[in-house]
Amino acid sequence: MPEHLVKSYDTELNRLRAMMSEMGGIVENQVALASQAILQRDSEAATQAVAEDPRVDALERDIEQFVVRILALRQPMAADLRFIVASMKMTGDLERIGDYATNAAKRSIVLSQFALPFSLAGLANMFRLVQAQLKSIIDAVGAGDTDMAIEVWRSDQAIDDVYNGIFRELITYMMEDPRNITPCTHLLFIAKNLERIGDHATNIAETVYYAVRGEVIPDARPKGDNSPYAVVRPQE
Amino acid sequence: MSTTMQEAKMADNSHGGVQVRSATAIGAARIAISDLDFYYGAHKALKAINLNLPDKQVTGMIGPSGCGKSTLLRVLNRMYDLYPGQRAEGKAMMDGQNIVDPATDLNALRARIGMVFQKPTPFPMSIYENIAFGVKLHEKLSKAAMDERVEWSLSRAALWGEVKDRLNSPAMGMSGGQQQRLCIARTIAVRPEVILLDEPTSALDPISTLKIEELIDELKNDFTIAIVTHNMQQAARCADQVAFFYLGEMVEVGPAEQIFTAPKEKRTQEYVTGRFG
Amino acid sequence: MSATIAVSGTVPGAAKNIAASVQLGRSRHRTNTVVKSLCVLATALGLIFLASILFTLIVRGFGGLSTTVFTKSTLPPGSHGGLLNAIIGSLIQTCIGTLLGTPIGLMVGTYLSEYASGSKLGDSVRFVSDVLLSAPSILIGLFVYALMVAPFGGFSGIAGCVALAVIVIPIVVRTTEDMLRLIPVALREAAVALGAPKWKMIVMVCYPAAKQGIVTGILLAVARVAGETAPLLFTSLGNLNWSVSLAKPMASLPVTIYQYAGSAFEDWVQLAWVGALLITFGVLAINIAARLVLRVGK
Repeated sequence: MPEHLVKSYDTELNRLRAMMSEMGGIVENQVALASQAILQRDSEAATQAVAEDPRVDALERDIEQFVVRILALRQPMAADLRFIVASMKMTGDLERIGDYATNAAKRSIVLSQFALPFSLAGLANMFRLVQAQLKSIIDAVGAGDTDMAIEVWRSDQAIDDVYNGIFRELITYMMEDPRNITPCTHLLFIAKNLERIGDHATNIAETVYYAVRGEVIPDARPKGDNSPYAVVRPQE
Repeated sequence: MSTTMQEAKMADNSHGGVQVRSATAIGAARIAISDLDFYYGAHKALKAINLNLPDKQVTGMIGPSGCGKSTLLRVLNRMYDLYPGQRAEGKAMMDGQNIVDPATDLNALRARIGMVFQKPTPFPMSIYENIAFGVKLHEKLSKAAMDERVEWSLSRAALWGEVKDRLNSPAMGMSGGQQQRLCIARTIAVRPEVILLDEPTSALDPISTLKIEELIDELKNDFTIAIVTHNMQQAARCADQVAFFYLGEMVEVGPAEQIFTAPKEKRTQEYVTGRFG
Repeated sequence: MSATIAVSGTVPGAAKNIAASVQLGRSRHRTNTVVKSLCVLATALGLIFLASILFTLIVRGFGGLSTTVFTKSTLPPGSHGGLLNAIIGSLIQTCIGTLLGTPIGLMVGTYLSEYASGSKLGDSVRFVSDVLLSAPSILIGLFVYALMVAPFGGFSGIAGCVALAVIVIPIVVRTTEDMLRLIPVALREAAVALGAPKWKMIVMVCYPAAKQGIVTGILLAVARVAGETAPLLFTSLGNLNWSVSLAKPMASLPVTIYQYAGSAFEDWVQLAWVGALLITFGVLAINIAARLVLRVGK
């Protein structure tokens, strides 16, 4: 699109874009650190992930204030309005993603005290999916790429499927040996955190789609988290 | 008509609070404009305009200077007839009658389609006479009936309380905002069906502007309104339907919400976001 | 996007020089002083002549002012006559002349402003009216003489009235047209937009809006004709006896002044001064009235 007649308006919108991508970068890194902390048992990474959280929160506040300022002073319309309001929404999603990553990283410290008699391959897979998802959606935000957003939006199903598998797997471990209950409960929460990160990524996908196209994503997304209905009974 | 409209509104409102504004479904046309061209001499100022003014709703017309929006308004009550060399071709149908047909009775038409201008134009007479002037052109009323009509129209224009004690003082002595509301009162006193507002607040301060906007909101219960404005926020606040004009063409028309959040045309997008180059 | 001109950075042209600017300012100041002095001088010169005329008029005129001036008609020299017949004659001719000329002038002015824009007829009418406005008034007297005096075999008051009316018309035409043209288009359109036919728009909206200007124009026309001598010489001629008949020659102040001032009799000359004083103050009063009318409207 051509530039605004008022150049300082463009400057402000570009600054908002920069703040968004900065926040996206930090949050992406947090998730990567959490992954390393849990899968590699790296307590240093866990500490780093937790330490990033205040920065994310501060950025969220800054972006919100900046958005309110632009709304009040520029009275944006159409594509600008949608982008600015979308930024406000997406910054909330990113902040939640950061919180989930921090929470997962904190749990890794407890987890590291337990020897786990089973593999974390499922969780590692989930981390891979979620990180790929997050990267795609942050790129989509930066480029205003609705195709990529739709892809992210659809691929959340895969994360939900993996999550449902992990849920059943962990319950099985707990039933096998009560000593697994503590680490497995933490792992359950971590998996849940990752699943929520995926959900927020899809939220962002919806927001990006609206911001760019001016309409909501056409079809309804199948809700993939079956764990509320999951029942695992001991074999008779 | 009105019952179905209300039902439609209620049905839409039940969707929840978020879409209250878009709920105002664009209703049936009071004036249906089709393939309308307009010429200032050899210059073609309007090109094949197609637009409906929905009954008892507000149509906002926006666009850069010289885009034809005011011209369209002046076509609708044949104001251009005052000037030789200006002519319109095409259709602007109201109740099966083509407004731009040369055979149309202009004075009767103007009694049905009133117009308020950019600058307040009180006549050099008293407040009372300003209102009575238009009424007397079309009706013979007794003194009592005229008093009643004057009070009614001034009340509708939210001016009665401010001027009821000085109806016989000259209208020129009022503030700009009051003068403009007087002009609106004068127009509705004739009991038109359509009111055309040509940048009615561009000469007013913000508070007077808001009063006029409130008035427009109130008047659309009874009148079909078309408003030309340079202020996009004003169009967004007042209009149910917004039409964007550029270089004599109507680029896009749609519910106000759609035009200002998600316009379909690139030129509309560039104009409403302030990117015109 | 719009054309990009580098607007930042240095201003084109030589660097700013404060000393040169100050120098330039001083020389401008000097020029200003010279021009201003010349203007004041010219104004003073004009005012001096005006004041000396008024002064002479007052000194000479007041000397002869007495009640007989207003109670007696003109009499032969030495018999203490007055100016009553001339005053009344002037009043009658000015009033009738104005009453005849004003409606015609108003209508022509309205035609030119409202109906004749761009038309050939309108342009020629405006041209003729403007020529009439600056035509020597003696020509108008001759015209009316040929029209009304010669065919009917005698000078008459009514011929004087018509001559004055012919002078009134172009003045009223011009002011009416000018004043109507000053009315904003928006006001006319507002009236038309209510469904008013054109004539109602003109009569009910434009005339009231232009009222002050038009009235001022009429008053100025009155002032102008009240002092006219030339057109009356060939039409109402002047009458040394008391007469208010429009069919007979009629006295008037300007003609009486003209006749008395050139006479060899001292008391007639004295009366001429008084008459001049009366006319001057009458015209002055009308002018002041015109200004008041204008001011009240604002």
